[in-house]
Formats: sequence, C-alpha cells, structure tokens
Amino acid sequence: MSAIGELSTMTRRKGPMTKEEKKANGRDNKAAYIFLLPWLIGLVAITVGPMLMSLYLSFTDYNLLQPPEWVGLDNFIRMFGDARLHNSLRVTFTYVLVGVPLQLGVALLIALVLDKGLRGLPFYRSIFYLPSLLGGSVAVAILWKQIFGTTGLVNQVLAMVGIEGPGWISDPNTALGSIILLHVWTFGSPMIIFLAGLRQIPVMYYEAAKVDGATTLQQFWRITLPMLSPIIFFNLVLQIIGSFQSFTQAFIVSGGNGGPSDSTMFFTLYLYQKGFGQFDMGYASAMAWFLLVIIGAFTAINFIASKYWVFYDD
Amino acid sequence: MPVHPKGEAVAPAAASQTRTSAPKAKRKLRASALVAATAAAVLALTACGGGGGSEAKSADGKVELRFAWWGGDKRAQVTQAAIAAFEAENPNIKIKPEYGDWSGYWDKLATQVAANDAPDIIQMDEKYITEYSTRGALLDLSKYDIDTSKLDAAALDAGKGEKGLTGIAAGINAATILANPAVFQAAGVAIPDDKTWTWEDFERVAAEVTAKSPKGTYGAAAYGTDEASLGVWLRQNGKSLYTSDGKLGFEPSDIAEWWAFLKQLSEKKAVPSASEVVEAEAAPLDQSGLATGKNGLAFWWSNQLPALEKAAGGELQILRFPSKTGKADDAKLWYKASQFWSASSRTKHPEETAKFINFLTNNVKAGEALLADRGVYPNSEVRDAIAPKLAKADVKVVDFIAGIKEELGDAPAAPPKGAGAIQEIVKRYTSEVLFDRLSTEEAGKKAVDEMKSAIS
Repeated sequence: MSAIGELSTMTRRKGPMTKEEKKANGRDNKAAYIFLLPWLIGLVAITVGPMLMSLYLSFTDYNLLQPPEWVGLDNFIRMFGDARLHNSLRVTFTYVLVGVPLQLGVALLIALVLDKGLRGLPFYRSIFYLPSLLGGSVAVAILWKQIFGTTGLVNQVLAMVGIEGPGWISDPNTALGSIILLHVWTFGSPMIIFLAGLRQIPVMYYEAAKVDGATTLQQFWRITLPMLSPIIFFNLVLQIIGSFQSFTQAFIVSGGNGGPSDSTMFFTLYLYQKGFGQFDMGYASAMAWFLLVIIGAFTAINFIASKYWVFYDD
Repeated sequence: MPVHPKGEAVAPAAASQTRTSAPKAKRKLRASALVAATAAAVLALTACGGGGGSEAKSADGKVELRFAWWGGDKRAQVTQAAIAAFEAENPNIKIKPEYGDWSGYWDKLATQVAANDAPDIIQMDEKYITEYSTRGALLDLSKYDIDTSKLDAAALDAGKGEKGLTGIAAGINAATILANPAVFQAAGVAIPDDKTWTWEDFERVAAEVTAKSPKGTYGAAAYGTDEASLGVWLRQNGKSLYTSDGKLGFEPSDIAEWWAFLKQLSEKKAVPSASEVVEAEAAPLDQSGLATGKNGLAFWWSNQLPALEKAAGGELQILRFPSKTGKADDAKLWYKASQFWSASSRTKHPEETAKFINFLTNNVKAGEALLADRGVYPNSEVRDAIAPKLAKADVKVVDFIAGIKEELGDAPAAPPKGAGAIQEIVKRYTSEVLFDRLSTEEAGKKAVDEMKSAIS
C-alpha cells in the first residue's frame, strides 16, 4: 500500500518535464516493464487469453471434441428457456443473499468480542480464522457431508434428546441450508479484516461518548458502525463476489450433481455440468459471461449504494 | 507491551496520529475493494485453465503410452499386473496408467480430449462411445493389427459404429440383482428363487427383510440411480431405452409406472428412505449398502460381484431380475459389453496402441491378470484358458452369464449420442419422486422432455 501511495505522489507532480527528466523517466518505465514482465505474461496467458477465448466460445456451439461453430447469440437466447438454469440462479441468489449477511454478521460479532482486549487474543484469532483456511477445501466438505448425514454427528446428538433429524444434506429442503451454514462457518477472513478496522477507530470517540453518557449499544450504532462502514463495504463486495462463484462445497457435498433434486445446483456447478458433463462448452462459456455481468451489476449496485451508507471521514 | 493498541491511543499525540492517517487508509481501501472486485470477477472466467500436451517419447527411445480407466482398487491391481505382463513382452513400450472414479473420469476425459491431450488407450463405456466416436475422437481399430476372430459376435458388434470399430469389448456383463445372504440370514428370510420370482415377490421379500432387521437395514436398495434397471423394466414391458434410430424407446407413462412401483416399495419400507437413497448414490462401491450389510438386495452389474464380495467380506449371491410373469424367460436380460478398449484418434503411436489392445484382447497372460474383473472375457479362447485360474467369485459370474444365455432378450439398441446425460436425469427425477416434490406423471413428462433434448 505504501508503494501505491508513493506512486500517486509522483504522478501528482505538476509542470512540464525537462528533456533529461523525460529520458530518465523512459528508462525507468522500461525497467518497470521488464520487472513487470513475468506477471504480464501470466496475466495474458492465464487470464486475458482464456477470457477472450471464452468470450468467443460463448457465441459458438462447441462440444469439446470438434472445432467450435459460430451460432451468434443462440447460447444467450437458450438461457431464457432453460428451467434448470433459472433454478440454479435461484439457488445461487439464495446462497448469496442469505449466506453473506449471515457470515458478515457472525464475523462482526466475533470481532467485537475479540476486540474487548481478551487475554490470549492471538490464540483465539487463529482458532476462529482456522475454518476460513479449511472451509473451501475438499476435506472439510467431505467432513461436512459426514457430520450432516442421516447417521451423522448432528443427528446422533439430536437423537440423544429424542429428535429424529432429517438427512440434512440429502434432503432437498435442508441441503442448501447446510451448505450456507458451512459458508457462515468460514467467517474468519472477514473477521480479521473487521478486527483490523476496529483498531483504527480512535478511542477518544468512545471516551467522549462515555462522558456524555452514551450506552454501549448507542456507541455501537453511532460510532463503531459508521466508522467501520468502509470495512463492512469492503467485506461485502468481496464476499458477494466470492459467493457467486462458490463451487467446491456444493460440488463435494452433492457428489458433483447439485442434488438432491437440484437443490444445491449452484450456477457454477451447472456451468461445469453443461461444459464438461454434457459437452456444451459454448453454452457454458456464455453462462460464465452471464455470471460476470451479474457479478458486475451487483458490484456496481454495491458501489452506488455505498454513497448512502458508507462513511469515509475525509 | 499492552496487547491492545487502544490503551496506547489514550495519549493525545497517538490519537491524532491515528486520525490523520485514517482517511488516507480508507480511501486506499476503497480503491483496493475495486481492484479486488475486478480481479475476483475475472477469475470467474478463467477458473478452468487448459492442460499441456505431453511428450510421448522418453529419452531412451522407449514409446510411452497413457492408459486411462475408471474403477476401484481391485481393478487397479489386476490392470497393473496386465500392464506388467505386456511390458515384459514389449520392453520398448511403457504403459503409464491413469485411473480414477467413474464420475471424475468423464469430466477429465472430456477436458483431455478438448486440450488435445487424450490418453492413448481409453476405457470406454457404451453410454459415451457414440458421443466420442461420431465426433472423431476415437481411432478405427479395424485398420490396425488387432485380431478379432475369437471374439463373440455380439460383443464385437457392440463396438462398431458409423466410424468403424472404435471399441473392442473388454468383457461381457449382465444387469443383476445381488443378494447378501448374511442380511437374509439375520432376518430369518429365505433368498427367493430367481427363476420364478416376480416384482411382487421382490416387494414382499424386501419388505419382510426390512421388518425383521435392525433399524437402518433394508430388504433392498432402491433402483432409479441409473438407467440400467429402467432398461430391464422397459424391456419387460415391451419397450426399450432407445430405438435403433437413436430415439427414446418409451413414453412418459412407462417411466412413471416404474417410479410408481418404486414409491410403493418406499412406502412399504422395502427400500431405504429418500434421504438414505440420495446418500447411497454418492457412496463408492465398497461403502455401498450391499457391501456394508445394510441392504439385502441391490442392483449391480454382474462383473462387480467379486469387488463387492471383497468389500463385504463374505459371499454374495447373483440373482436374475424378477419378471412380471415369474418366468426367467421373461426377465429379458441381455449381454452388455461391460466396457470397451478404445484408442484416441490423435495418438502419436497407433501401432503400439493397437498392439496393447490386441494383447489385452487376445493374450492369455492378459486374461490371467484381468480374470473377470471387467466381465466375462469376450475372447472364447482366453475365457477357456483362464477358467482354471478363476477365483470362486469369478466362477460365479462366469456361470451366471453362461446360465442365462438361453433366456436373453434381443440385443438392445446402442445408446445414441448424448446418452451420457440420461443417468443424471433419471437420478434427479427419482429423488424428485421419492421426496414427493413431483408426482410420478409429472416427473415422467419432464424427464422424457429432458432426455429427448439431451439425445437430439
């Protein structure tokens, strides 16, 4: 971050450059590009290239085995009539709109608790962060599957108190909820960012409020939340984007088929099935671009709405 | 040092420092949110990268061939043994195995073929062979030096298509019901006579076993997790999965009836609950209900018996499917090519690839290694030669296949292009039905619509 700061002060300088300065500048630029080269090659080869390819493929009928055939907007038009795609959108939106606020809420709550100057804070911080490292992994998704199975840990505990639990991940009514819970459980990374943000709030505000007789709740609403709003915004944007793209958990928990009855058929999972299961890579590419538009729209809305609730004290 | 920096901030100087730096930090945060947002969105599009081609010839002049198959541990062991036998005879050819589970296998293969990185030798299934062969991904093996004269005619025909001979049957199979005698014994129920039983008997026996067994054990596994049992049901009702011109061979009402009977089984607790059925779908062979003693009866291919017996740690019994009439002749089973040996059309070493497939098909040493893991050997000479070496479980399979020869129905039409998607559709609507989310009629209509568009 400090490097970016220096760059910005450099470019901010006004007035025409002398010849020597221009020359030196050109040399600097060349050196900079050489240092950037490895990254640049990676960007072009691994990101931009495949992106352009997928943009092209989205206008073709491509079955992986034969060369793609241009079909214009066909793939995009087909999406309108694809009931399974609509279902996958419903599943994904539910996951994002329920999972993200829940996860951020839990992250903020735990961050607030940890911020109270707990003894052994680094230890607790690590413990709470752990699920974030593991949550996206295949191993944990498999574990989740066991815990929430018909004869899994959850139901065994429930059985002790005489409740016969459903097959959480194998029942279409509860499967998505179980995956959302897995997502909420990985609250560690937004929590760490919240914690850092909480540290940035000058203590004098709280002291002034206390002197004026504000309650803890008032302090939270009037000081913590507004001062933390840029952090909340940052987390919100990242988590929404990440959640729209989530794939691993649903893939593992449902055994790759988005089941039972498509109840965990995320958009990305359906995309994968279309592309690799049904040899419809053109359609899958079109879906990827559609997802990009959705994510872009959500992010734009987020940025526009942020004007009304995010408080930058500058 | 206090753990909490706020303690320090009480000093006015420190507090003002925090305040001056805060706005800049937040502006940066806003900028980095934007950058992160773009980066994360871009990743969505490029999550699936390509693979690189592999160098087929190693430094010492040896030809290296890649050989891909799906299957469990037992298959891996016997196949490795066959590879070793081939390499001993052909020191200049090295075979590199690539194996994995059924479900991941097809995703991987599709990607590899698309990336021009297909394995040289591909274990193929009838559901996908038309897909791959009509699109030019498979080699016409009839153009190479592979002896097919000893193969059973039906098995050989199964690998022929419009693009020539793109697959050579690796084994012969039949759809069966396997019984776990331990479960029946514990329940005190006799295993029914498979030459005379009807679907009503199946229901009665399975429900009885469930009733007399501890909680969580069921008389039978549910069908409906693939299309094989549907195929049998349709044939017994004078229909078929596919017609010879590549269309669906049944109506929505036919599949609805099949589901209606499954629902009836479910209501009588002859089969596990809907949730348990969904969970069982994902379980690998050695954790299946039959192998773990949770099911008395289950639907499997005949060649899977040895692996299942190994997992169950006890003997299993092979049964014919029940029929409507109680006559074994009406069970309408058929010989299926369990899987095919196919070769990539883009292999750099078609001769060596063909040599290996020829070895697997015709060489007794290959037969002695593979035995009956991929079904009964389609090469009659090898079949006879390895007969004394077969384990008890293999003998059971071979005897069963021989025993039903006179009862078989007509050979079914080959699955058309797109047939690989059918299983998933069957499975999905089976759970819709079992969870009461759709009536059997609705499910039948929707499923048939989807199947039609999948194979069109």
